[in-house]
Amino acid sequence: MKHSVTSRTRVALALAAAALTAVSLTACSSGDAGESDEPIQFFLSGDANQGGGYAHMAEKYEEETGVKVEIVDIANDDLATKLRNAAQANDLPAIARVGAVDPVWRNVTTDLSDITEGSDIRTDLSDKDDDGNVISLPSDITAVGMFINKTLFDQAGVAYPTSEDDIWTWDEYVAAVKQVQAATGTSYGMVMDKSSHRLKALLYEFGSDYFQADDSGEFSTNDQTKVALEYFNSLNDDSFMPRSVWLSDADPNALFKSGDVVSYLSGSWQIADFAVNIADFEWASVYMPQEEERATNFGNAASVVVFDGPQEEAAHDFIKWLYEPENYTELSETSSFIPAIDGLDITYAAHADAFAIYNQDIAASPDIVGEIKAMELQYGAQGVTTDGDPVRDETVKYLNGEQDVDTTIANINALFTDQLGALE
Amino acid sequence: MTTLRPGTRARTASTGAGAGTRTRTSRPLRALPSSLVLWLLALGFLIPVAWFLLSSFKPGSELFSLPLTLFPENWTVSGYTTAWNRFNFAQYFLNTSIVAVVTTVLTVLVSAMTGYALAKYQAWWLKVFFICILATTMLPTEVIMPSSFAVVRDLGLYNTLAGIIVPSIITATGIFMFRQYFKTIPDELLEAARIDGVSEFGAFWRIMLPLAKPIAVVLAIFSFQWRWNDYIWPLIVLRDPDRYTLQVALRSIVGADNVDWSVLLSASVISLVPMLILFAIFQRQILNADVNSGLKD
Repeated sequence: MKHSVTSRTRVALALAAAALTAVSLTACSSGDAGESDEPIQFFLSGDANQGGGYAHMAEKYEEETGVKVEIVDIANDDLATKLRNAAQANDLPAIARVGAVDPVWRNVTTDLSDITEGSDIRTDLSDKDDDGNVISLPSDITAVGMFINKTLFDQAGVAYPTSEDDIWTWDEYVAAVKQVQAATGTSYGMVMDKSSHRLKALLYEFGSDYFQADDSGEFSTNDQTKVALEYFNSLNDDSFMPRSVWLSDADPNALFKSGDVVSYLSGSWQIADFAVNIADFEWASVYMPQEEERATNFGNAASVVVFDGPQEEAAHDFIKWLYEPENYTELSETSSFIPAIDGLDITYAAHADAFAIYNQDIAASPDIVGEIKAMELQYGAQGVTTDGDPVRDETVKYLNGEQDVDTTIANINALFTDQLGALE
Repeated sequence: MTTLRPGTRARTASTGAGAGTRTRTSRPLRALPSSLVLWLLALGFLIPVAWFLLSSFKPGSELFSLPLTLFPENWTVSGYTTAWNRFNFAQYFLNTSIVAVVTTVLTVLVSAMTGYALAKYQAWWLKVFFICILATTMLPTEVIMPSSFAVVRDLGLYNTLAGIIVPSIITATGIFMFRQYFKTIPDELLEAARIDGVSEFGAFWRIMLPLAKPIAVVLAIFSFQWRWNDYIWPLIVLRDPDRYTLQVALRSIVGADNVDWSVLLSASVISLVPMLILFAIFQRQILNADVNSGLKD
């Protein structure tokens, strides 16, 4: 009797498993990608962190037109991987906001020229293909900027620049921060994101023309790059700057929020985060220190692309609507964006003074900043990219004592020459 | 084989009640240092968990403020509220549960069948096949991922839960565990069953599989944990957010240069609850499985 019950139980279990499998295999099967009656899928990263601006605009668009746009938030580090695989499966979403246009799927993007024509959209930050078609729109502008722990400066009685007339040189900045550090017993004077985007700003300030190719595709840089890198290395001394940030991925954002760091070289996207998550001290945005040049590094924070497919037209309509000045202004105000459309009057809910400083730094930056950005976009249009980030990775080796500055620069040039070559 | 020497029993008996009393009184004292060490170890493991749990009740502005404190100064459930409102946890739990349960059931069945065949049937190609299966353990998952993805895509399983389940069913570990276990069961048992007229499948299903229950439980626990925690494969196979598993959905909180730690901590705590409930219900089986796995190997 017992045997038969056990046997029946096992058979029932097996049948249940089989049924469950069948249900999961059939009920969860995919429909065709991007059916025209499905919501328009918009892949992006960090929208909720930046105030849910795109989600807000999607709701507004649905109210106005009845067309639903579904915002799909994906971790930034995984967005490119996900889109690459979706492209291989011929199952791309309708729209994506990406860090850079991936060569794998750049041939399946639609032309957005009709949106940019006659508009003030910053097309210098758009990707274009060989035929001159605009295949991406800049989502917003991101810029490198300096944050200070205002409470510590006030405690130490040290002044900081409040107008364009009294901007620090780098040496003055370091001296002021060290003064605050000593007076308040703060562990570190400065942290800086581990990013070539941030390092680029420092290079420009010291007069570097970054790394550029000649007609044969051979990359080189000017002497000021070496000066800047040596200066950066001198700051990473575990007393002024913790070496752990660049050498072992310590989180500079968390370090600054701890209140034990005097200043933080980061970017405009931090403003929204700091406004919510710093309560123990006052912080402020200040002008970037300058040296040979006054500069920040700026560019498009991300690129908006529309993919070919059954929802292409509907997606195109949504993007066209989104970049209308009135709607884009609302997006910028909700997400605290620096706008990628010129001439808009953005009213920020908080920290408008900080955004004003970023805009002044952008306006004062030398032409080289835009030229390098244009060069990078051109390489993108050619469909070539680097493996990793040679500037950041080789600088890490230099900071770690694995190689000297000349080897670092030579390696960066060699890697760029090998992987990017000449511009067509 | 040890033999009891004459007189051993007598000597043991002659120690009498006094020896037994000494044993009873000294045992707690003898056990004290090891218990203390275990308690300290347990505490060591508990602190990060407690920190994680308590931090989920801190506002974002307290998470990194110095000096670090274990307990929140201002208790808040705002992270939980945001996480619950932002994510469709019920859908993610359902998706993850379907994947974990179906994969686990199929993994155990298929591994048992394969292991049984490799252990009890003799053919040269079975040996080759077994070596091929073992060889797959030498390849990191990342290496075979592109080809696995191509197969899943061509089978029309992209963006389906089946796309996660099917490639995960066969595991070399599971097959190896069952094969080694079935090797230890005498062939005579199988031959006796055949003489009694039991079919080949009946012999496996009614005799061998029940005997391998400890291995099945161990593999089931491992498989469930693997599938519940799996991230990269669901990430690349699933496009539709309605089919996301819990791990993929949780990861979306991480932005480009910002992490909403307050929401991430709270959402992580919520995601752990089902596993804790499962552990509470099946605690005895899970602990027994661990003990058995050690003995049988």
